[in-house]
Amino acid sequence: MTIPRPPIRRVLASPVTLATYAFLVVPFALGWLRSSWMSPLALPGYLIFVIGTVIGNAIAPRYEFWVYWAPFLAGSFGLATVVGYGYEAWQDERSNEG
Amino acid sequence: MKRRSALAAGCVTVGSIATGALTRPSSGGGPVATARRADDSSDTDRRSEPILEETVHETTLYEIDAPESGPTAMVFGGIHGDEQNGIEVAQEMTDWQPDAGTLVVIPETDRIAVENGEREGIDGDLNRHFPPGGEPQSELARGVWNALETYDPDVVLDLHRSLGIYGVHHQYVGQIVFHSPDARGSALADALNDEVIPWYMPLHRFRSSTSDINGPLLFQAANRELGATSYLLESTSFVLDEDAMNRHTRFGAAKVLELHGLLETEGDE
Repeated sequence: MTIPRPPIRRVLASPVTLATYAFLVVPFALGWLRSSWMSPLALPGYLIFVIGTVIGNAIAPRYEFWVYWAPFLAGSFGLATVVGYGYEAWQDERSNEG
Repeated sequence: MKRRSALAAGCVTVGSIATGALTRPSSGGGPVATARRADDSSDTDRRSEPILEETVHETTLYEIDAPESGPTAMVFGGIHGDEQNGIEVAQEMTDWQPDAGTLVVIPETDRIAVENGEREGIDGDLNRHFPPGGEPQSELARGVWNALETYDPDVVLDLHRSLGIYGVHHQYVGQIVFHSPDARGSALADALNDEVIPWYMPLHRFRSSTSDINGPLLFQAANRELGATSYLLESTSFVLDEDAMNRHTRFGAAKVLELHGLLETEGDE
């Protein structure tokens, strides 16, 4: 039996991918804009961003911290895609079983 | 799909703001409220005077004498001119009302650096001008030191800001309380963490560090030469806006006054 592989276009457009991306980025972006808007929902994005700055700051300390938004957005989308891929693969497996 | 994405983002936004409002630590009371109370007693004596008068460094010193006798605390903002949180909070403190003792505040210690919005003034970094075993190394440093010797404070607090977080970003020192060996640095850091740092920003928790007093910083010299219990409070601007940074700095400053008996909050013996 082969494990189904969902097409990448479907994974990228998956509601799970988009919802995960929104969950990682939006609460943290709100907290960045205004600290009083920081919330528990921002914790995953906060940790990803801070870890990114720790690594970046150790490698290239000359950059200001706003520069890390680009890798943060890309990395968050990468993580969201992995989650979306897993969800779509699970859905395919379920429908094949049915 | 676009509608679905917009809906997801909208739900996350609203949910995020709502949970933030519900879970934010409350810092409305405590020592800040006590320090700011409106019923300014007529017994409180306030005055201001220039230091380094008729020099390019002339700046204002504020003295607030509480009705009750007690320790003298001296607070410095603007030793680095681009660290706005310390300047703004020190300016606010000139309206505070201690319960006991004397509060002395210099909000714009290096006034030229403050006016230029730069870390260093015309003589360089003021916070490196107090070497052990020597005279203060600039006209400004000597003027600041004369004020310190005049008041001979029991407590010294120097307010700063860093761009990153100590122990997280290796060349930065934000979210830390440096203190002299006799100070209550860990109590101050604990209070900051309990009152102003939300649990969902764990890497912003304050730490305390006992400082080697044989350095050239003002708070080190104040402990070394005058025996003052001294603190250097470093907030961070990393991921925080000005309001949050000022809230941290303001709470830290009020807590120092409370820990050393200048403020009496409810529940104090």
